[in-house]
Amino acid sequence: MADIRGDIDTGEMALTFSLDGETFAIPVAHVNEIIDPLPVTRAPCADPFASGLVNVRGAIAPLVDLRQRLGMPPAVIAETSRVLVLDLMIAGETTKVAMLADDVDDITDTPMAEIEPVPELGVRWPVHLIRGVAKKNGALVIVLDVETTFAPSAPVHSKI
Amino acid sequence: MTSPADSFVQEGQDILEGLEAILLELEAEPGSARSVDAVFRALHTLKGSGAMFGFEALARFTHHFENAYDRIREGKAEVTPELIQLSLASRDHIERMIAAGPGAEDDPASAALVGKIEKLAASGPALAADAAPCRTETRERYVIRLVPEALALRNGTRLDLLIEELAELGKAVVTCHDDKVPSLRELDPSVCYLWWTIELETTKGRDAIDEVFIFASDCEIDIELVAEEDTGGEDVPVPAAVKTSEKGDDGKVVMPKPDSVRVQSHRLDELMDQLGELVIAQARLNRISIEMGDTALAGAAEEIERLVTGLRDAILSIRMLPIEPVFTKFRRVVRDLSTELGKSVTLETRGGETEVDKNVIDSLTEPLVHIIRNSIDHGVELSAARAAAGKPEQARVMLHARQSGGEVLISISDDGAGLDPDAIRQRGIERGLIAADVEISEEQLFGLIFKPGFSTAKTLSSVSGRGVGMDAVRRVIEDLRGSVEVRSQKGAGTEVTLRLPLTLAIIDGLLVKVAGGPFVLPLSSVEECVELPRADDVRASGRSILRIRDELVPFLSLDTLFGFERAESEERRVVITSVDGRRTGLIVDEVIGQHQTVIKPLSLYHRGIEGLAGSTILGDGSVALILDAAAIVKRAQGAQRVAA
Repeated sequence: MADIRGDIDTGEMALTFSLDGETFAIPVAHVNEIIDPLPVTRAPCADPFASGLVNVRGAIAPLVDLRQRLGMPPAVIAETSRVLVLDLMIAGETTKVAMLADDVDDITDTPMAEIEPVPELGVRWPVHLIRGVAKKNGALVIVLDVETTFAPSAPVHSKI
Repeated sequence: MTSPADSFVQEGQDILEGLEAILLELEAEPGSARSVDAVFRALHTLKGSGAMFGFEALARFTHHFENAYDRIREGKAEVTPELIQLSLASRDHIERMIAAGPGAEDDPASAALVGKIEKLAASGPALAADAAPCRTETRERYVIRLVPEALALRNGTRLDLLIEELAELGKAVVTCHDDKVPSLRELDPSVCYLWWTIELETTKGRDAIDEVFIFASDCEIDIELVAEEDTGGEDVPVPAAVKTSEKGDDGKVVMPKPDSVRVQSHRLDELMDQLGELVIAQARLNRISIEMGDTALAGAAEEIERLVTGLRDAILSIRMLPIEPVFTKFRRVVRDLSTELGKSVTLETRGGETEVDKNVIDSLTEPLVHIIRNSIDHGVELSAARAAAGKPEQARVMLHARQSGGEVLISISDDGAGLDPDAIRQRGIERGLIAADVEISEEQLFGLIFKPGFSTAKTLSSVSGRGVGMDAVRRVIEDLRGSVEVRSQKGAGTEVTLRLPLTLAIIDGLLVKVAGGPFVLPLSSVEECVELPRADDVRASGRSILRIRDELVPFLSLDTLFGFERAESEERRVVITSVDGRRTGLIVDEVIGQHQTVIKPLSLYHRGIEGLAGSTILGDGSVALILDAAAIVKRAQGAQRVAA
């Protein structure tokens, strides 16, 4: 990744959100908007990570579930639940992706600036999804690697 | 706005396509003066407009090519197979020069081809020297009035080149008139205020003059033939002059009215996108109108629905183009390939008038080339082998397009050796694509040729046999929401059929509910809907065959197939689909009704799911998935076979 500096080292803004009581961060540049939960259409035979589709202002976007990928229990839609609409580059295609979060916390420039490598032990989640950890007001913020976190599970179904 | 050079590129490509067809005709019938004339005209136009738009190298090259055909016209040279070969090569070279863009330099290939052309043209028949020229040499005198429209220069008309070209036709006296030039204060430097009269003495005739102006559509052009003895003044023709200008009432030259308009395809795509949004918005309006129950609103909503449907059909029909031009391209491919491989092959085409969405047509050429190459390279045998098999020496490749329901079928068949199931099986095992001890059907065996890295040809030829072709073909066709099938009989031939959707954008669909979620089945694959008798529903797991008017129809339950839990629905329905003429029922919880469906592509997360053709937005804003009935039925059949 050529632009790793631009992504992490500089004081780029990050959006923090919570999932299952933990705080995560992704670069705010990827976040298009934050909306209330939408009705979801289930896709048959789909990867559980992206089991449904939603209509975001006339554009159909896959709804991905980070809890599934991080091995957390399924989400329950609550008052604070929000959908983050992200613009991501997936396999060379600009893709609009919707993602459910328990709560959206803040936009901050600290986590990206003070990112530390993932400690060898003590992280419950797949290490390849995590770019590093940062501290914010004394609490731990997990900075996600956007590229690996949102990659579709199986590239394309093979057919006979 | 397109640049003038862009429009030349388009025009040039059209001319080159036509040129190829004419050259092939000329090859079949070398004595045709009509074809020679047509070649000459095409080259002349290319030269003229090429120079006008800055393709100088192209114009210089085409000039030599054109000269050769001028000599043929004059009976000083004749059409030979070498000439056709060279002409086709030159045509291809011009294509490359157009692709290189305006202002490109001469490349060495030009000089080599020019050398060959001149040598060939010079070695005409011996009688050439004393043969009488077929054109009568009459020296005529014309007065040409050239009045450009104010914006002609902005549109890229090169008046200097036009006048230069005119002057090349004979002796010309050019007079420039500046009487319309305004005072400096009012002068707009991009507007053309000047006009010209050109007195031209030429032996080339009126046609040659007309050809100079063939692209000068934004000039008023007035051509008058003046009698030889005329000594009249500058631009005042004597009364005796034969007036040959084609002037309309408004004084403008009447150009032949084109009955078609050239539109960039991205504009059509934009139009299509807008229409899609309109259809979705209309569905929303309909829903609101139903909820409100206001009759006046309902009337207006219905009216709009009718108009939108009409608009949709009109726009879709603009996008539909006959497939014939694609077929025509393959005459050349087949000719070149059969020459290269030393096989005698004719191409037959049928159903060229079948209309297909432009985007589909654009993507079709590559896969068809692959398939035809495979047919000729691997399918068609050498003459000796054909004779031994009791087949006519000349092999036949057939391209056949036809519409069937909501699909267009394009088949490519040959009367060659056919696929060899044993060789394919052997190869499949070698490549690790199938296990050595598994019996698979011939259909599945033939499916292996679409796998990456599969190739049975024993030697690699330059034409095909790298094993990259057929899997690429399948990918392209599947990206278009189509499918590929192969049928073959050893010794008798092979047929590859491409099934393509008629349109990529909007379809008529049947909206249904499965386990609470909305789904759309393309109406083109639906035959009817029937109630599912409760007794059959309960038994569904044991026996899934339904009797409909004395016909037994197998059925599948969509919720089971999708891995969804069964909805609490009292009366379920069966949508009877027809795939390849075979009827299969799909159980749904509820049939909601017909729905105009705008197809939106699926993201990478869901694109690979078999049986899904896309997604759409319904009137209430929810997302529905569009099902591919053919894929669902085939997958279910495959699964049954595995289970059996």
